[in-house]
Amino acid sequence: MDTSSPAVFVNAELLKMYQGRRVRVVVQVMRNEGGLIVGQSTDGHQLTVKVSQAFPLSHFVEVIGIADGNQSIRAEICTDFGDTFDTLAYNELCQLANGKFKNLFL
Amino acid sequence: MYGSQGDGGASLFSGGGFMPSQATQTPDSSFSKSRGAQGVLPLTVKQISEAYHSNDDKSNFVVDGVDASNVRLRGLVMNKVEKVTDVTFTLDDGTGRIEVHRWVNETSDTNEMALIQNGMYVTINGSLKGFQGKKHVVAFSVRPVIDFNEITLHFIECIHVHLENTRPKVLGGIPAQVQANPISGTVTPTRTPVSNQFSSRSSSSGSETDVYKLVLDVFQEPPNLAREHGLHVEEVARRLGLPVEKIKDAIDYHVDVGHIYSTIDDNHYKSACNG
Repeated sequence: MDTSSPAVFVNAELLKMYQGRRVRVVVQVMRNEGGLIVGQSTDGHQLTVKVSQAFPLSHFVEVIGIADGNQSIRAEICTDFGDTFDTLAYNELCQLANGKFKNLFL
Repeated sequence: MYGSQGDGGASLFSGGGFMPSQATQTPDSSFSKSRGAQGVLPLTVKQISEAYHSNDDKSNFVVDGVDASNVRLRGLVMNKVEKVTDVTFTLDDGTGRIEVHRWVNETSDTNEMALIQNGMYVTINGSLKGFQGKKHVVAFSVRPVIDFNEITLHFIECIHVHLENTRPKVLGGIPAQVQANPISGTVTPTRTPVSNQFSSRSSSSGSETDVYKLVLDVFQEPPNLAREHGLHVEEVARRLGLPVEKIKDAIDYHVDVGHIYSTIDDNHYKSACNG
């Protein structure tokens, strides 16, 4: 059992607080550029994901990786969540997991 | 509220099977089961890392005061190893990693596990076991996640069940308080009989529950109900002899559930009940 490197649930707002740390975020793919994905976070801001895979446009992708910039993540694991995803629920979960219930996650 | 009815219904609809994995699929049954002795708890690996052994013979784990023998986790599969009679892998749910074992005795088990690949999101239902100081899960069901909203749902359920299990049972206590008030809540400022009553209650169970209860008791006393602006946070702290931080926690909780409300400023609160 190992809880030494958790991935924090973040949106664009929260990403700024976890620079250099392992985070998880869901973005909706807006465009693929070589080595990069530009996506929209669950709180409506643009994020850049450094990853060599490409994902279908407007699909939701969960990125687990290291936050390396105010709006950028260096991806370790990406999972395609398909084209329907409840971003409001996920956004609220980010607030809860970093607020009152942080002890259940980190 | 859904209780055994919900479970019985789920079993019927899933073909009358007694398979715990099927009965625990619906969100309803997982909420109700959080209160039962043999219920399934949705948990994060972080919560499991903080679970401790209960003192009874069953040597079960306890989370938030509830028996955590049956647990549900959701996360990524890593390091899958297939052997003749069992399959093991590591589950990473973002809060931590835990080892999972799945015995494969029948073809249905083997078929179930053959579908599982590294990098896949899965739902695990199983028992929490400890061995040589480390915890692991013996799974009786491992299913791929199809709708990824289930991931958001799982963590929200972990929070919900945590809140349910750590919530003090204040609602049941209010009628008792109203009856007890004539005895303890007299207008005279003599504090001794009142504090004796409070301290005898607090010795019987956990601390947080009792602080919440004590704070609500103070707000519910008839002389305090009569005060237009209610009580100042510090008054309550002095009255109970507890740190202001603890009083504030209790007040936050009671405001959340609607027992008290703030009056002239953020430091004054009053009970919402009419006594």
